Amino acid sequence: MGLLVGKRVFSIVALCMMVGLLLLPVVVALPSLAIGEETHAGDAAKKDGDKVEKGRDVYYKTEGIVSGAPAPKTTDGVKDYPRYNFESRVLLWFANQQHLYYGSFVLAVPIFCMIIEFMGVVTKDKALAKRYDQLAYDFIKISLTAYSLTAILGGILIFTFLTLYPAFFSYLSGIFRPVMHIYALMFVAESGTLYIYYYGWDKMKEGFLKWIHLSMSVVLNVIGTLLMFLANSWIGFMMSPAGVDEQGRYLGNIWHVIHTALWNPLNLHRILGNMAFGGGVVAAYAAYKFLASKTDEDRAHYDWMGYIAMALGVAFLIPLPFAGYWLMREVYAYRQQMGITLMGGLLAWLFIIQATMIGILFLSTNYYLWQAMGRMRGAEKYQRYIKYLVFLLACGYMVFITPHTMVMTPAELKAMGGQQHPVLGNYGVMSAKNGGINVIITTTVLSFVWYMRGNKVSTVSWAKFGNIFMGVFFGCAYFNIIFLAVYGYYIPANVRVGLSVPQVATTLSCLFFMFALNSFMMKGAKQMGPIEWGKISARSQYALIMLATAFTWMMGLMGYIRSSVRLFWHVNEIMRDNSPWAYTHTVGFAANMISANVLFFWITILFVFWLGSLTAKKVPVESKAGIPGSVPQPAPSH
Amino acid sequence: MKALMSLGALIGVAGLLLLGGMFFDIVPSTTVRLVEGYMPIQLLLEVACYVIGFTGLSYMMNAMGMALPRFWQGIGFWVFLMVYLKYRVYPPIPFSVRAMYGTVGLVTVFMWISANEEDWTKFKQPILNVLDAQTGGKRLLRYLYLVLLPILIGGFSFNAMMPKSEEPIELRTVHPAPPASTKVHGKTYTLQTSQNPYRVNPEGKYDQEFSNANIVEQGMGRLMKPNANPWDDKNQGYLKYVREGGEIFFQNCHFCHGDNLNGRGLHAFAFNPIPANFTDPGTIAQLQETFIFWRVSKGGIGLPNEGFPWASVMPPWEQHLTVDEIWKVVLFEYWHTGYYPRTWD
Repeated sequence: MGLLVGKRVFSIVALCMMVGLLLLPVVVALPSLAIGEETHAGDAAKKDGDKVEKGRDVYYKTEGIVSGAPAPKTTDGVKDYPRYNFESRVLLWFANQQHLYYGSFVLAVPIFCMIIEFMGVVTKDKALAKRYDQLAYDFIKISLTAYSLTAILGGILIFTFLTLYPAFFSYLSGIFRPVMHIYALMFVAESGTLYIYYYGWDKMKEGFLKWIHLSMSVVLNVIGTLLMFLANSWIGFMMSPAGVDEQGRYLGNIWHVIHTALWNPLNLHRILGNMAFGGGVVAAYAAYKFLASKTDEDRAHYDWMGYIAMALGVAFLIPLPFAGYWLMREVYAYRQQMGITLMGGLLAWLFIIQATMIGILFLSTNYYLWQAMGRMRGAEKYQRYIKYLVFLLACGYMVFITPHTMVMTPAELKAMGGQQHPVLGNYGVMSAKNGGINVIITTTVLSFVWYMRGNKVSTVSWAKFGNIFMGVFFGCAYFNIIFLAVYGYYIPANVRVGLSVPQVATTLSCLFFMFALNSFMMKGAKQMGPIEWGKISARSQYALIMLATAFTWMMGLMGYIRSSVRLFWHVNEIMRDNSPWAYTHTVGFAANMISANVLFFWITILFVFWLGSLTAKKVPVESKAGIPGSVPQPAPSH
Repeated sequence: MKALMSLGALIGVAGLLLLGGMFFDIVPSTTVRLVEGYMPIQLLLEVACYVIGFTGLSYMMNAMGMALPRFWQGIGFWVFLMVYLKYRVYPPIPFSVRAMYGTVGLVTVFMWISANEEDWTKFKQPILNVLDAQTGGKRLLRYLYLVLLPILIGGFSFNAMMPKSEEPIELRTVHPAPPASTKVHGKTYTLQTSQNPYRVNPEGKYDQEFSNANIVEQGMGRLMKPNANPWDDKNQGYLKYVREGGEIFFQNCHFCHGDNLNGRGLHAFAFNPIPANFTDPGTIAQLQETFIFWRVSKGGIGLPNEGFPWASVMPPWEQHLTVDEIWKVVLFEYWHTGYYPRTWD
């Protein structure tokens, strides 16, 4: 009893410490935020003999007291751009990308842990609850090793900035001075919380203490998310600066500097992207372990792990294109020029590659689900319809990747009689592409619904009506999406942009409403047979590896696109890049560079996995006892 | 079910015969035309019909005990797709796009034939049979593959490496990002915010809704709206400016861009690439009016760096027309094509 009370006190103290750590940066920052403006203004006033200089915010158009130096006008030379005998931008690109990969991973995995741990806490089946708990623990263990690497890569990134781009880094850190130390303190808070969360796992595994432990994961994720928001504010500032005047002088309002035009869409896009990426990496880990497994028991465990990770990743992948759409819309609203460079001009071909990667993600997901139906008895009834789903996916995909401006030889151009193909050129514009991607996502939802009901037969009295209703609902959804895609050609562009809302609403209705209805129909359903975990084809595991690789490649690509849209600006329209590398790379070079980054990441993450396996925790005997076959299928809950 | 599949089989046979007939000129190649304005969706519907047809055919052949092995079904469908894209769609699709579609087709055929173990086993069986070579015929086939495959790969490699005399492919940026502002006849125009001064309502105020209501109808025929004929002398304001723009267009632009604004003017085919087709939904319909104003004013010579290889011979019209004339021409182009200029509200 005394021991239990002691543990409880320890847990509450630990949780309070975490909250304290979370609030620490804010408390430290408050005085500087409060007095920052006055101090700077005061300093400026003293220097100018009580004459206060005011400037106009380039974005918010508000007036503010000039509190910082103008953006440096750099020149090509060793003073502003010291260099090795190599392209500095490539070095920075590499350091940045690796840091981002690991940063995304360590931010995403704790969110998974939180979700999985929560599922374990609320699950009534004790064996399953233990397996969820073990899975969450396995995840955080991997994350812990990756966390150290993230910090090391962060250090390398800062040194790269300092040694190769000192003028730019000095300017940027000057602008963000009021929050630079908050960022550093957030790191301290994140590390402290993570270690308490990890090492407190065994001590807080039962009852009330488990809830405290779960609360810690919430705190951990709040800190992680805030950290990411702060980091996003820098890239947001570089793309769409605010809080400074035309010369780049800080005007004393740090919130304006952080809350730029693109900050919020970037935040949302990155949260979803990180989650999808994290899910992909863990699924690939599970797939690798599955393929290397020697026993049925291990295969069953890693099959299940891969499924959970994939389902979580895809849950965040589905809304990702919509978040991307919002980001692009904001980019166009901020600068038309930037939007056209991205989607219709210089970088348009990279967007075709991006569309190809998005298609691969969804195709891999669907393929995995169809393979997964193979381990269920009773799912055979859906197999013969898969070819129609393949057809829908193929049509949606082909429309989605059709380029507006085609690559062709002059002879082909002449034969075609113009730059735009009269048939396929229509697939190259946004209206058709919105239709294409929504068809793909709706088909993925349909595959999920089939998977969820694979080995079950509904026993509710209204089962027949429910099935017909679902069929009609999906039919109407496809019709609506395609009709709006065609209708988009006959209306003004600004109205057409708005059509994406009903299209997205249709897709999301399928997602939420059909999932909910299906869950109701399958409550107490008759089971045709168990899910035989581990009895899945090897092809499915390669699909998971493909999924993860495509995620990694796409992240690299999108990072490059987002960064290179600034063209020859360090900070858009404020600080010019005068280094010899202020040009846009060829598509081929960029693709090779992204591939190199992906390869390096996968080699190092394999090392991290190997390190994790060295300290492998013994899996409790009872948690493995139910495998394979006796575990209730987890699909309906996510 | 059987009736549905029979219908599907009928569609499949009829479709294949028709397609074959059109390819080999047994029936006129325009028997089933791709109708302008509906071609993109017609193409998808046609392919959907063939998929339904093949499903029906497969079902019927199976029922008659003449099932086509899954191996040949997969390969056959992919070959059909490639042939369809190569010969059915006109004008010809560039190789790069056909390669993309071909790859997607190959991947999706693989997804179909390996979606479950039974199908995958059926698909692999002929390959395994050849590799196992239990019969004399299979053994011969295996040796043939052993010789033919390296020759085939070698041939592809040789062809890829062999220097070509063709002009290299171009990755042209047709609509490069415009500058933030442009200076024409001494006045600076901000492209994000400038407006066409002639897009006005009867009160003389800028009104896009009013002008949108008076453009020609889209779709077949591009007919004028009732009481919206710019060539009616009684019409004033917006429609009068459209008429003036039209006069300028036919005096200066139609030689290249064509009297139907479709890029097929008198001199169009002297240029490579031919002039822009304004009736294509991918040109002016995608752009702000100020973008067109900038492109017309500055011409091909004024394209930015990313417009490489600057393949446009359009003269910088600011040297020949006034600012007002350029705005009126732009107004006419949108009126005539029935498109609305892009806006960001």
